[in-house]
Amino acid sequence: MKKTDCKFSRQPGVECIIHSLGSDEMIAQRLAQMGILPGARLHIVRLAPLGTTIEVSVDGGQSFAMRNSELVALECEIVAIPLTAVDGPPHTTYRIHRLAGGRTFRHRMEARGIEPGCFIKILDQTGSPIRVQRLDQEEIVKLGRGEANKIIVKVTGG
Amino acid sequence: MVEHVEEIVVALSSIPNTGKTTLFNRLTGSSQTTGNWPGVSVKKKVGHFPLGEYKISLVDLPGAYALSPVTEEEKVVRAYFLKTPPAIVLNIIDARNIYRCLGQTLQMSMSGLPMVVAVNMMDENSQLDIPCLSTHLGVPVVPISARSGRGIPELKQTLYRVIEDPERTHIPHISCPPILEAVSRALSEKIIPGGPLAKMNANFLAMRLLEEKTLPQSIRNTGMENCIKKWRSQVEKSTGEAIAITCAKCRFNAARGLVLEATHQKPPPPDENSQRIDHILLHRWVGLPLFLLIMLLLFQVIYGLGAPLQNFVGQGFDAAEAWLRVQPLVSRQSDLLQSFLFDGFWQGLGVVTAFFPIIALFFICMSLVEASGYMARAAFLMDNLMHRLGLDGKAFINLLLGFGCNVPAIMGTRILSSHHHRVITMLLVPFSLCTARLQVFVFLTTILFSAAVAPWILFAFYLGSFIAIIVIGLFLKIIRMAGKSEPFIMEIPPYRMPTFNNVWLRTWRQLKDFLCQAAPLIVAGVIVVWFLTYFPADVPAAGAESWAGQLGQFFSPLFHPLGIHWQEIVALLFGFIAKEIVVGALAVIYGGGDLSNQIIQHISPLQGLSFMVFTLFYTPCVATIAAIRIESGSWTVTLYSFFLGLAVAWVASLLLYQSGLILGFS
Ligand SMILES: Nc1nc2c(ncn2[C@@H]2O[C@H](COP(=O)(O)OP(=O)(O)OP(=O)(O)O)[C@@H](O)[C@H]2O)c(=O)[nH]1
Ligand SMILES: [Mg+2]
Repeated sequence: MKKTDCKFSRQPGVECIIHSLGSDEMIAQRLAQMGILPGARLHIVRLAPLGTTIEVSVDGGQSFAMRNSELVALECEIVAIPLTAVDGPPHTTYRIHRLAGGRTFRHRMEARGIEPGCFIKILDQTGSPIRVQRLDQEEIVKLGRGEANKIIVKVTGG
Repeated sequence: MVEHVEEIVVALSSIPNTGKTTLFNRLTGSSQTTGNWPGVSVKKKVGHFPLGEYKISLVDLPGAYALSPVTEEEKVVRAYFLKTPPAIVLNIIDARNIYRCLGQTLQMSMSGLPMVVAVNMMDENSQLDIPCLSTHLGVPVVPISARSGRGIPELKQTLYRVIEDPERTHIPHISCPPILEAVSRALSEKIIPGGPLAKMNANFLAMRLLEEKTLPQSIRNTGMENCIKKWRSQVEKSTGEAIAITCAKCRFNAARGLVLEATHQKPPPPDENSQRIDHILLHRWVGLPLFLLIMLLLFQVIYGLGAPLQNFVGQGFDAAEAWLRVQPLVSRQSDLLQSFLFDGFWQGLGVVTAFFPIIALFFICMSLVEASGYMARAAFLMDNLMHRLGLDGKAFINLLLGFGCNVPAIMGTRILSSHHHRVITMLLVPFSLCTARLQVFVFLTTILFSAAVAPWILFAFYLGSFIAIIVIGLFLKIIRMAGKSEPFIMEIPPYRMPTFNNVWLRTWRQLKDFLCQAAPLIVAGVIVVWFLTYFPADVPAAGAESWAGQLGQFFSPLFHPLGIHWQEIVALLFGFIAKEIVVGALAVIYGGGDLSNQIIQHISPLQGLSFMVFTLFYTPCVATIAAIRIESGSWTVTLYSFFLGLAVAWVASLLLYQSGLILGFS
């Protein structure tokens, strides 16, 4: 079990699964009564402009605003992060979990072979554009940072 | 012969934002009365509608997630159910997300009170298996859409059937850890519920006792305390968490199963439109400027439109007064009575009606912002800033709109999510520089200062007002004036079109509250001031020998270090009626003549500044005080606000005047 890492939990696009509601009884009780229980999946949707307040959506549905202090009280395991946040060695393979953009973005990505479920290898993550390659294709896809931010990959590599 | 009608109490209950108030408005129209819960500023709304031969009295409660409360609101809801259980519970489920609602529904259904479940917002998700829900919950379930009115006749029929035959509801079984089940069964055997609780399920009452450490005395029998404590710690040790959490888990496990059975198709995807709008309105860089723009627009609509209306009403009042004065019936009366009627009573009524246009506009705008779903977004955007003052983002809107007029801003604290936030906001709003005070400042600064300096002084006053709000907010946070704040986990609802019905009923209700509850206080306040300035009867009104003048002279040693003379103290006394009166009062007190000259003669620029600082902060006007009294429901908070204002004003003026003297100004 991995405790929420602050760096990750504060990045839009991160997805985690709650393992325990934490030790603050008021927060735990509130979450439990809202139906947010261990096993629920949280997506970090966005941060407020002034920071520390975070919009999360639970199990892909209802959105909630909570503060960072409430979020770090939870024990979660991170299951998916944006492509820009991966920190494995070069040429690690990742599985695409979700495309977080709107419909046009999804169509554009799917046209280039980037779609949920497929495996991609990251060739060069530091520069811009980021170069990735689909495992079953030859072609190298170049992604801007903004695009890569919206491509959510599973944490446990291929 | 008077027909005997039986009144049946039906209480609405659900988690927040499922459409309780919309349904309430639909069923009862505008026939409701509002009552206050003792001690808490949450309004309990009761409305009536006929159903067959019965008269239903429908109670609208605030949304609550569970009966073991975390928030102040939920304490109120719990207290309502345990102290005065209704004849029937009308529970509401949001069809878009039944899982979230079912936890509360299951808990309510355990209570053993007859219950009807209405699945609302069927217009947004119509694929639910209603009979299946009904079977598993053991209560009648009716699909409705409170907004469009679909299903309402069926709901009424079902209610009628349940009134006739309340035995038909069954209590669902929710499995929980064996140890908890054993303990609650043992405890339920010990409970001898009496009075209103007799119709509740004993097991449910046992659970209430176990889940909560602080419970109203009503269920608890003496001598059970120790036994409950022992059992509770036994269960908590074996599960490793609070019982309330264990129970919530059990309920939602049951809810999850029920959701799977009742939804045959995939649930509708989260609202794409809302996501698209949020992408812009909550954008990292664009979100805040857009928010400020929207606030500016609101401000303009409320006060830009409200001020002319206010003038119009005021003129009407003056005209009516002039007409009344010459009526033989009135002019024949004694001087005393005439003065009382016009300078006391009539002026009080004038103050009350002057607020009508802005209160109406304020609540139209606020209802639009709230019902559209933008309020939650505003709270999200401003949360960080307001959190430092111990508030959440919604309070920002109240504080900001307080710069137009304090009265609606305080009445608007009703939208805030907790008692704690409401009290703090109510105490802070009076420090904002409202337009009434602005009139005084504009007048005095143009007389006392050159045209080049005056705008800067006005600007400094605005700045001072902001700073005061922040400093006092921090102070109130440190002394924990309103208790501990609650965890901040706020739902962000999808955007929705506000309905006309909801907006106008809300506005109408606020106006009615203002008229019924605040107006008498305001008129009384104005009469007190009139009384002080008129008596003793044979001296000039508000002169040195009047009681007000004597009061001013009595307090003048206290105001001497601030550079404020007794005449100005009397003017401040008048300012209690409405702050813009301060200037007119000065004219009366200085005994006529050219007011500008009089002021230049009597008041130095530094003294003028000190006077204005005092005017900015001291006790808000009588209408604001009345609004605080109604909204907080407590005289303690009202008095606190009264004296806090005086203290802050005194200290601020003292600092300004004395440091001005030291720096060599006069
Ligand atoms: N689409 C749809 N929206 C609805 C329906 N009924 C209510 N709403 C909307 O749901 C929102 C919340 O309604 P309210 O009546 O304020 O909910 P409430 O349960 O009183 O909320 P709280 O008092 O905060 O607990 C409003 O924006 C309504 O317009 C419905 O039948 N269909
Ligand atoms: Mg409501």
